[in-house]
Amino acid sequence: MADTEELIDELAGLTLFADLSRPELAGVAHTLEEEWYAEGQRILREGLSGTGFYVLLEGEVSVRLGGDELARLHRGAFFGEAAILLGELPGADVVAAGRVRVVNLAGPAMKNFLMRHPNVMYRMLQEQTRRLRSANRWRR
Amino acid sequence: MVVGMTMTSAQKAQSLARVSLFAGLTDGSLGALAELAGEVEFSDGDSIVIQGQVGTGLFVLVSGAARVMRGSDELARLVPGEFLGELAVIDRMPRMATVFAVGPTTCLALASWDLFRQVDMDHDLVHSLLRGLALRVRQLSEQHSH
Repeated sequence: MADTEELIDELAGLTLFADLSRPELAGVAHTLEEEWYAEGQRILREGLSGTGFYVLLEGEVSVRLGGDELARLHRGAFFGEAAILLGELPGADVVAAGRVRVVNLAGPAMKNFLMRHPNVMYRMLQEQTRRLRSANRWRR
Repeated sequence: MVVGMTMTSAQKAQSLARVSLFAGLTDGSLGALAELAGEVEFSDGDSIVIQGQVGTGLFVLVSGAARVMRGSDELARLVPGEFLGELAVIDRMPRMATVFAVGPTTCLALASWDLFRQVDMDHDLVHSLLRGLALRVRQLSEQHSH
């Protein structure tokens, strides 16, 4: 396990947390749980409860629906937030493509976390906008 | 496009409360947005936003209808309670489509700079925008998979 200082450094390097001060990052590092997944392990399962918000620290994950890969996410990407925000079940599977390390926050804790760190929420909003633009681009 | 003057702040707040993007906002937050919202009237065929232009605001349809066009493709029809221009407000990139009024149409317009200032002060608003966009992403991916 990375020690806290290392984890803070790692989080500081991600766009999502780019606006946070060192003390704020320390708070975030304490709040989030580190988890590891092996190749092929499902982190989120479509239609299954037990949601969480995840930020990818190492490795890649594949977002899959019915056997098709919808997207591949890399270091710094986040997932799982939509189901929590909407109060719905995950809309897709998220599967580890190789060894993966994430930090995780339990669903019910997310709103509090975001309200405490509005800059993180704003970064998420920007990323969501980018996703929506690329989804729109392919729409006919 | 004509600036309308008929809606009271309370009526504006009521119209904004119907919009999914603002779902779950407190009356205080809605009231603050209503104070910032301008009423704008369009005639049939007027463009509300134009593809390629940098967006300066978010529009909420209050009455009438609108069609979302990219080139000659109609992407969507909008009815009262729906919104447009939300992405350009956040990322200040060019508009992705042109939106035309269908029949006489009234919108509430929220200027980007006003919305930005509000977002800075009102974290509930950011949360509700995030939720609104998550809903759009999910609706789009559902359209793709069906």
